[in-house]
Amino acid sequence: MSDVVLNNIGKTYPNGYHAIPSIDLTIEEGEFIVLVGPSGCGKSTLLRMVAGLETISQGDLMIKGAKVNDKEPADRDIAMVFQNYALYPHMTVYANMAYGLKNRGESKEVIAEKVTSVANMLGLEELLERKPKQLSGGQRQRVAMGRAMVRDPKVFLFDEPLSNLDAKLRVQMRVEIRQLQRKLGTTTLYVTHDQVEAMTLADRLVVLNKGKAEQIGSPMALYNKPATPFVAAFIGSPSMNLLPANLDEQGICLSDRLSLPLVHDHRGSIIWGIRPEHLEVVDEANADFALRIQAVESLGAETLIHGTVDLGVKQEPMVVRLAGPHWPEINSLLWLKAPLDHWHVFDAVTQQRL
Amino acid sequence: MNLWQGAVLMSVYFPHKKLPYLLVLPQLVITLIFFLWPAEQAFEQAFYQEDAFGLSREFVGFDNFVYLFNDPQYYKSIWVTLVFSFSVAFSGLAIALWLAVMADRVIRGKLTYQTLLVWPYAVAPALAGVLWWLLFDPSMGPIALWLQYFGVDWNHFLNGDQAMTLVVISATWKQISYNFLFFLAGLQAVPRSLIEAASIDGASPFKRFWTIVFPLLSPTTFFLLVINLVYAFFDTFGVIDATTQGGPGVSTATMVYKVFNDGFIGLDMGSSAAQSVVLMFLVGVMTVIQFRYIERKVEY
Ligand SMILES: Nc1ncnc2c1ncn2[C@@H]1O[C@H](COP(=O)(O)OP(=O)(O)OP(=O)(O)O)[C@@H](O)[C@H]1O
Ligand SMILES: [Mg+2]
Repeated sequence: MSDVVLNNIGKTYPNGYHAIPSIDLTIEEGEFIVLVGPSGCGKSTLLRMVAGLETISQGDLMIKGAKVNDKEPADRDIAMVFQNYALYPHMTVYANMAYGLKNRGESKEVIAEKVTSVANMLGLEELLERKPKQLSGGQRQRVAMGRAMVRDPKVFLFDEPLSNLDAKLRVQMRVEIRQLQRKLGTTTLYVTHDQVEAMTLADRLVVLNKGKAEQIGSPMALYNKPATPFVAAFIGSPSMNLLPANLDEQGICLSDRLSLPLVHDHRGSIIWGIRPEHLEVVDEANADFALRIQAVESLGAETLIHGTVDLGVKQEPMVVRLAGPHWPEINSLLWLKAPLDHWHVFDAVTQQRL
Repeated sequence: MNLWQGAVLMSVYFPHKKLPYLLVLPQLVITLIFFLWPAEQAFEQAFYQEDAFGLSREFVGFDNFVYLFNDPQYYKSIWVTLVFSFSVAFSGLAIALWLAVMADRVIRGKLTYQTLLVWPYAVAPALAGVLWWLLFDPSMGPIALWLQYFGVDWNHFLNGDQAMTLVVISATWKQISYNFLFFLAGLQAVPRSLIEAASIDGASPFKRFWTIVFPLLSPTTFFLLVINLVYAFFDTFGVIDATTQGGPGVSTATMVYKVFNDGFIGLDMGSSAAQSVVLMFLVGVMTVIQFRYIERKVEY
């Protein structure tokens, strides 16, 4: 049975702002869904509607087959981890985790047992008597997760839970969250604007753009076959190179100087894309075009080369990603080949993949 | 700002060494003439016995104090002060908190509502006293007549408890505005996500208030409690004088009112001065409490 169903869900704020026009999403039991998108695209709004912290303006929200649109947050059997953790500052770690159970009228013994077992799972045994302000950022994050886990809810909701942590801790907690979720098998809805977090955590990704779901699918599906230029640019780092072009009998015509042969029946303006890691360095004879190098970023394991492709009328920026260290000279030319099977072609008008 | 920073700032803004002292001089003079000098006078007076016309006086050591602390009337005034002060502080805090919680929920007309609630603070204490005195006047005050209509035999000139209720109302009324502003600011400082987390954790609005919001307001509440107690102890002479003048009998004569009564009506300067010294001591204690505990913020 599917666990959470969003059926034509929309949100209009009281001030008239139409944050989410309509979203359909069916989440299977135990699935890890990541909502990803740029700032202000409506991720939190959607999550908060599922939590019951924001009213649903339109559509139906079902959890385990029951419509919960008008249910209080407490009656939806969900738990949420907030970006700022929202730990109760005047309560100990133990009391923070016990609060929800206490409100549900559990007995002292049951509460103690549940809190202790979750605390053991998260390595919080030593910290139970501390107040939140006596904890480090990572520990607070863990307590917030513990508070969500202890009630054993049907659905976990996370709103950018790692964005207040430093880079190293973020990676560590990311792995930990994934492991815990696998172990507990709880359906999870997770919001982030970090595409690496999104790719590594998700069973399925929902890419949101201005309140619309641009594409829903597995991380690899989104990487290999992005449905729109927006998804293509958002998923993958560095971003896909996207160039405006025209499709005609000869193929993809980037300018009157540069065409790439392709047989396709679509005619008209398109967007042509290739990922930085799919461009190959070749000799001049086999090259599709040349890149004038402007900057080189050496990361040891890989090198990012930024430059422009001369299209006569204009210069189009492009990034190439090469394995290992390279030291090409600035302003020199790098001859590149774009293998056909890695091309992405989108209709410039409908913004859909061709 | 600590002293050291202050000193640095001073040397930046006042390159001339004498200017700062010149600037605080009026304040010093005022403190000297209107506070330190009378205090010293009272302190001296407390050890003398003066005749009713102020013509002669005689050193009596601690007699005034011994007499004072053997006087049942003095203990009565301490009791009146305690009942009065804690009633004022408690009702002032409770009503202001309730109003602030309501104001925090109001969305439309917020500013009007808040402005109206702040106005009473601008009314002079004696005027507030007169206002309530008129409203509760047994023969013509609208509230008194209304109470009588409902069978409450209101006459604060005869009934000591009713007189106490009246002074508590008059004194509280003014403080509500002040408390309200602090509570409102305190409420608005409680992070929304905490309330949301609590509602997901299954706490009813009532429970959320008492288990999350109220504990988080405790620094504000404690601060206001001290401020209100100090106010009720030392700053309510005007209100009492305008409403009940300490009566009937001595049922609303607080310690401060008794100083005035014994000194200027009873013309017992020695006892009055001794009472002032006791009050000065109390002010000192309260100030210490204020600085020790409030400056350091209440920990939750
Ligand atoms: N209470 C509100 N009233 C009106 N508009 C709002 C309200 N809350 C959010 N919005 C608007 O709705 C849009 C979506 O907001 P939301 O908080 O969901 O964004 P987000 O995707 O979570 O962004 P971020 O990554 O910055 O957290 C934004 O344009 C925001 O300005
Ligand atoms: Mg957000």
